[in-house]
Amino acid sequence: MLLDFERLAGLRPFLIGLTVVVCLFLILPIVFIAALSFGSSQWLIFPPPSWTFKWYQTLFSDSRWLYSALTSLKIAAIVTVLSIVLGFLAALGLNRGSFMGREALRALFLTPMILPVVVLAVALYALFLQLGLAGTTIAFIVAHLLIALPFSIISIGNALEGFDKSIEDAAILCGASPWEARLRVTVPAVSHGIFAAAIFSFLASWDEVVLAIFMASPTLQTLPVKIWATLRQDLTPVIAAASTILIAFTILLMVLAALFRKGRKV
Amino acid sequence: MTEPFLSIRSIRKTYGQVTAVKNVTMDVAEGEFMTFLGPSGSGKSTTLYILAGFQDPTDGDILLKGQSLLSTPSHKRNIGMVFQRYTLFPHLSVGENVAFPLRIRRASQVEIAERVKKALKLVRLEGFEERKPALMSGGQQQRVALARALIYNPPVLLMDEPLSALDKKLREEIQFEIRRIHQETGVTILYVTHDQEEALRLSDRIAVFSEGEIDQIGTGQELYANPATHFVAGFIGDSNFINAEVLSNEGGQARLSLSGGTVIDGVPVHAGKSGGKSVLLLLRPERLSLSTRPLDSGLVVTINDITFLGNNIEVTTHTGNGESLSVRLPFGHEAISSISRGDKAWLSFEPKSTHAFA
Repeated sequence: MLLDFERLAGLRPFLIGLTVVVCLFLILPIVFIAALSFGSSQWLIFPPPSWTFKWYQTLFSDSRWLYSALTSLKIAAIVTVLSIVLGFLAALGLNRGSFMGREALRALFLTPMILPVVVLAVALYALFLQLGLAGTTIAFIVAHLLIALPFSIISIGNALEGFDKSIEDAAILCGASPWEARLRVTVPAVSHGIFAAAIFSFLASWDEVVLAIFMASPTLQTLPVKIWATLRQDLTPVIAAASTILIAFTILLMVLAALFRKGRKV
Repeated sequence: MTEPFLSIRSIRKTYGQVTAVKNVTMDVAEGEFMTFLGPSGSGKSTTLYILAGFQDPTDGDILLKGQSLLSTPSHKRNIGMVFQRYTLFPHLSVGENVAFPLRIRRASQVEIAERVKKALKLVRLEGFEERKPALMSGGQQQRVALARALIYNPPVLLMDEPLSALDKKLREEIQFEIRRIHQETGVTILYVTHDQEEALRLSDRIAVFSEGEIDQIGTGQELYANPATHFVAGFIGDSNFINAEVLSNEGGQARLSLSGGTVIDGVPVHAGKSGGKSVLLLLRPERLSLSTRPLDSGLVVTINDITFLGNNIEVTTHTGNGESLSVRLPFGHEAISSISRGDKAWLSFEPKSTHAFA
């Protein structure tokens, strides 16, 4: 190919350099936050004068941090389950159905990915106020589900695209009812898509902050909201510790997903 | 009159303006191997899918042992099917694939183990229980699919071009296996294919589909010797068609005039044509004889080419007005040594062995 890496001999040092700079730009803030969370200075001085675990001790001894982490986990878990169930059904309909306005519906399902999140947040907030749901867990879940669902529809839809419907038909002739066939044959066959949908849905909710700020109440705060709220009052390394945990959990999930994908190819 | 085992009655299927199946009627006997043969788009697969219950006919009925199947959903019809594409469940082993219909029917572990073993033995894949479908060849996968479709002893087995994805050699091998399995199990099979050789090799009877209708149903020999339509004549066996003129027609036996003025008598003519109408005359390449000496009733042709094909020799020729005719001569035929390209020759044939179609 014309743009083959091998043929860009003269440009190669430049391209490698550019890639390194971009990677550093992406990774360094994360490394700094992690480093600062172990630093002894409460003014977030870099490099830290000495190393300590005391911010983590403060973090874990404060039940409000733990509570918001659990809230985050709970909401993300429920959003994940709903997102893959509804995502599977929606993808099935979009993939198999032949009805008017199918492409329009597909586009509609994906709009939360394109729409500015803050617009979505204001609109949802106004709606939930009217419905008397503002500040409830239900509102939180619905809001996060809205942004998680496109990920599910895309990844499960792609998996269904590569699945021959004849296989499901074969299961039906073998005696399985249509839903039995879908659950026992189609779902396992597209499990890689469902797994990807689960990871992305969880992360979409887990580290989401804009919608969360609008949906939160003094008693209902996810970890990103708690970090945000604390940050506005005072800049303490406890925030760095909380952020590090948030990031670590996210990285863990991404690694799991990568391992799963690798395992499938073997 | 006894009730036919399987009866397809005036099935019609339309999709909006398009008619996929116009009018299909046939009876199939228990244990029969019936093939639906036809080009793509002739309605043979649609008919099969209606039998499977994946499509509902616009009109008509299907009776199995006298009971209508149409109100029964696919999964309760207890019909077996092998598909054109590979449809083994990718996440299950071969053994679990074959066991699937029995698991759905909640059979006991012991019974399942025993019957899976028997079914895999039937398709000669003993010991493959633990294998994943992705690690098997196409032929093996279709044999597993066959075992899975037969394990619950369905009254009818549907096969939708199951060998079309395989190469020729493997296809013949599995055709042989299908024949053996049909004989061993005695299951009634409805088999869809567009390959006439496959249909002739496997079937008890063949239904030739064309444009949503059945042109003719019969054994391979019947279809070859007595084609009812121009289409059947062209689809089964090799064929030449030349134009002819009907001079008179008495009771289906016509007197024809061919190009070049030759007149032949006693040709079976189909679709009742009276005198003075033009027809197409079917001449089988292997039923023509060729002579280098002038014949009274022969057709005068010019030799185009002579091709040696192993056990026989194909001679392509053309008539005076440019119609091409191929002739199949047995190896060692006396005329071969004395003819060459551009020569004149005389073709003769038994009028009774030919057919004329309007």
